[in-house]
Amino acid sequence: MPEHAEHTIEVGGARIHYLKGGQGKPLVMLHGAEGGLGWRQYHEQLAESFTVYAPTCPGFGQSERPPWLESFTDLARFSLWLLDALDLPQVTLAGHFIGGWLAAEMAVMSPRTFDHLILIDAAGIQPQDGEIADVFLHGQEGTRQLAYFDPQQVAEYAELFQGKPSKEERDIQTRNQETLVRYCWKPYMFSPSLPGLLGRVHLPTLIIWGQDDRIVPLECGSLYQHALPNARLEIIPQCGNCPPLEKPTECVQLIRNFLT
Amino acid sequence: MFLMRFTERAYVDYSEEDVRQSFRSAVRLTFPNTHFNPTLGADLYNTYLDEYEYAEEVGFDGLMLNEHHNTPTCMGAAMNLEAAILARTTKRAKIVLLGNPLPIFDNPLRLAEELAEIDMISRGRLVSGFVRGTGIESWATNTNPVYNRERFEEAHDLIIKTWTTPGPWRWEGKHYQFRVVNPFERPLQQPHPPVWIPGIGSPETLIWCARHHYPYIYLETDPQVTLDLTAIYTEAAKQVGYEPGPQNFGYLVRVHVQDTDEKAYEVGKGFLIGNAGVGRVPLPGDFMAPPGYNSREGAKRIVDQYRRYSLRPDPLYGGVDAAGWEKVVESNRVIVGNPDTVVRKLREVLSVVRPGILGVWTNDGTIGHEDTMRCLALMEHDVLPAVREMGKELGLPGPFEQAP
Repeated sequence: MPEHAEHTIEVGGARIHYLKGGQGKPLVMLHGAEGGLGWRQYHEQLAESFTVYAPTCPGFGQSERPPWLESFTDLARFSLWLLDALDLPQVTLAGHFIGGWLAAEMAVMSPRTFDHLILIDAAGIQPQDGEIADVFLHGQEGTRQLAYFDPQQVAEYAELFQGKPSKEERDIQTRNQETLVRYCWKPYMFSPSLPGLLGRVHLPTLIIWGQDDRIVPLECGSLYQHALPNARLEIIPQCGNCPPLEKPTECVQLIRNFLT
Repeated sequence: MFLMRFTERAYVDYSEEDVRQSFRSAVRLTFPNTHFNPTLGADLYNTYLDEYEYAEEVGFDGLMLNEHHNTPTCMGAAMNLEAAILARTTKRAKIVLLGNPLPIFDNPLRLAEELAEIDMISRGRLVSGFVRGTGIESWATNTNPVYNRERFEEAHDLIIKTWTTPGPWRWEGKHYQFRVVNPFERPLQQPHPPVWIPGIGSPETLIWCARHHYPYIYLETDPQVTLDLTAIYTEAAKQVGYEPGPQNFGYLVRVHVQDTDEKAYEVGKGFLIGNAGVGRVPLPGDFMAPPGYNSREGAKRIVDQYRRYSLRPDPLYGGVDAAGWEKVVESNRVIVGNPDTVVRKLREVLSVVRPGILGVWTNDGTIGHEDTMRCLALMEHDVLPAVREMGKELGLPGPFEQAP
């Protein structure tokens, strides 16, 4: 079983927390709206083939946020600094939900930094028919109910969400929510210019979507596919917004097939 | 003692079940506006304005209005319009706006202009309170709650400068930028209308108020908690070189008078029955305080302070109502009775809290117009004069008697 370890690195005056494990080509996995949830099964599976970096974005979890970093665009710029600090000049970039949006913004800013791009149920593009569900309005519990096709098929659900959180965990949840509001309140979970900007991103791109995503509609997967010149869309049936947690084996297999 | 009359101007024609069926069972924010009947709304707005005009007749010094959005509990969604009407139809009482929720306005200069007009039309009777608004106001206007306090302070600074610094000049702030600040119409009161700040005791706001010499109006806070909060204000005031007095503090409390204790007790229940959601169907906590709306330190401090008093275990999201009517009345958190009873109970409260401003929340919810008018009529001779005397006896000058 691949080992992993916690690290911190200073970037732009802020201490950034990240997990690293596995071996092989480097793959950076950016977390979703709940923040870094630790080293999960999907990390473990990916680490069998890749050196997985799972950073915690500034303002989430144990990662500091420089006071000037307040917008999603600046978050993308900062995250490019992070890759630079980690000495990852050529890397596969993957991200889920807001992490997928972040990956797309980073690819727009610096496409030559990446060899492949993987977007999983990514926010960032405004749907034309539906809406991106308002996770703030639904609240934490309501959002979790929306996030999965069937929580019972999420092997790590109880461990992640059903125990009574410690005071420290509650504080981190509060901090994560504040940070999410800071970056994503308005416009909510999309950048109007992103579809246009993606046209110049020629990276081989894999788009993975849970067929039953009730947060970011599947339509957004198609919009990403249309916006990116070299992308394919893979749909995982009976899966909600979070394939890495709900269908980790299928999700990782798609990534492995794409990259090898 | 400055005596002002208040009502939330509630919309009344909906049921608790209606509330339970709304998204996340919330009476505010997501309660469908299909429950609103504009014909009834037209009657209610006019009735409430009539009542305010009568409140001036019976001797109140101030007519207090507030503003909330997306809620039937308060129809003052555009409070400044009501204030403008009262500016013209009343002659003596101050028009006390508690207050305009600054963070939700993208153009504070428009607000400065509206308030200046109200001040002039009323011939200098405006008290311009400012608030951060509840979280609901942030939701309803899609204002990022993380920046609520920053926007409050910057909008305040911009409005005060607009009123006091000859234009034109330029403002390049973090949240507001204006090339040419030069509203032509300036307020009648100089250097600007008085500013009062209402709230439930956020420490940051208390300290900010103290530094600005702004009276802080406690909104139905527990009397004992209020003393703790006053200590925060007092300490901050001392740090900038002055000792605050009653003129620096106000206290809002629900007070309903009828001819007999029994009738007042029964009619007063309407405070709770009509304001469905204020206590009976608690609002989701993140509606009233979305992530980032309160500083973590401030929120903890408020909750810790209130937890010591069982009447209001969940101060941010519930209200006194959850404690039950009998207990609420017994503890003077809502004061009901005949005039003698009300005066006696007010003495008990005022002796502890010692405000120079008393906000009298006479009616709300299902308390009807007839009962409200009787309440106001009884106050004219049998309550307000006695409270004024009480203010003198207890040494409680208002901010127009002694500068805060």
